[in-house]
Amino acid sequence: MAVGVEEEVKSLANFLGSPAYKVTTQGEIKVPQLHTGNGKTLTGLATISKFLARSSPSGGAKLLGTTPEDQAEIAQWLEYRVTIVDRSVEKKDAQAMLKELNSYLLDKVYFLGFHFSLADLIMYHGLHPVMCRLSFFEKQQYQNVSRWFDQVQHYPGVQQHLPQLVFLRNTLYTSSDH
Amino acid sequence: MGFGNIKSKDGQKQLNDFLADRSYIEGYVPSQGDVVVFEAMSGAPSADLCHALRWFNHISSYNKQERQSWPGVKQPLGNYGPKGGAAAPAGGDDDDDDDDDIDLFGSDDEADAAAEKLKEERLAAYAAKKSKKPALIAKSMIILDVKPWDDETDMSEVEKSVRSIQTDGLVWGTSKLVPLAYGIKKLQISCVVEDDKVGTDFLEESITAFEDYVQSVDVAAFNKL
Repeated sequence: MAVGVEEEVKSLANFLGSPAYKVTTQGEIKVPQLHTGNGKTLTGLATISKFLARSSPSGGAKLLGTTPEDQAEIAQWLEYRVTIVDRSVEKKDAQAMLKELNSYLLDKVYFLGFHFSLADLIMYHGLHPVMCRLSFFEKQQYQNVSRWFDQVQHYPGVQQHLPQLVFLRNTLYTSSDH
Repeated sequence: MGFGNIKSKDGQKQLNDFLADRSYIEGYVPSQGDVVVFEAMSGAPSADLCHALRWFNHISSYNKQERQSWPGVKQPLGNYGPKGGAAAPAGGDDDDDDDDDIDLFGSDDEADAAAEKLKEERLAAYAAKKSKKPALIAKSMIILDVKPWDDETDMSEVEKSVRSIQTDGLVWGTSKLVPLAYGIKKLQISCVVEDDKVGTDFLEESITAFEDYVQSVDVAAFNKL
């Protein structure tokens, strides 16, 4: 799991207006744990983020989707984040993942289509280190991912502690994958 | 300049290009710019224009009331879209005048006109200043190595001969004797020349003209001043 997962949980909590929970990590792969204060401990990013959204005092529950379809899709992206994004450490894995996401995001503004959701939030945090490592050329190759990423990082309150990435469009590079 | 005729295939292609790396016409939130372009369209773009279609579907997922509540002020259609593209076809409400690019500083037309005027004044002032200034004379500093025939050559005579060369734009500087071998010394002498008036060829020719003393002349260093 990526470093700074504690930071991620904290910025999620911050975004959702939750109180400052105690966050720790467990084991070598740093599974985040959230101590809810009444003796219970939640383990795993997907669990924690769902809990934070559902218990959010600032209406974060709507980020979990309003229709059963949306909710199912968000669950799927949370799973994707933990099982694919966080494990794509190798460059070729990351490239395969970006290619997949790029074609998925072709006709979408956000992961659920047209509405910002928890899926975007979680994927943004997961992809930030990946996008950081890309060159401008690669970012343009995965144009749909880049557009989505740029959109999400400008969504009010999302960016928090993460540095803003710059996306430039260079007409020298022709984008081949429409 | 805008998207041209947004109802034409060409205009929609430009829109598609423009939206490839953007989710909205302006910035990162839906605005009145989206509404203007959206309303100018006669229907959904064709499926091969995937970016335009995505945007169109996104905008149409909002109802009219929601759209009206978006921020921004409606501007003519021509003010949106890529800057400096192909000229928009005549007709329609394409108002392709001055600033259709993204105005980073949020200044309005008047401020732009003022800025333009200021810029012109400054340019004029600069041109005037430039014309008054005398043209810069290009000068170079040259160090010459003058080698005598043998150790019996009188080096002071060599130096005297060299310094006797006088012409416009040539000023002799310091000189020194540098030992070479077998007691032979060469004369190293510097001079400053105006590039337009004196060349190294002239110097070499003039110095080698003292053939009683001088075997050869080399340019040891040549620096533009």
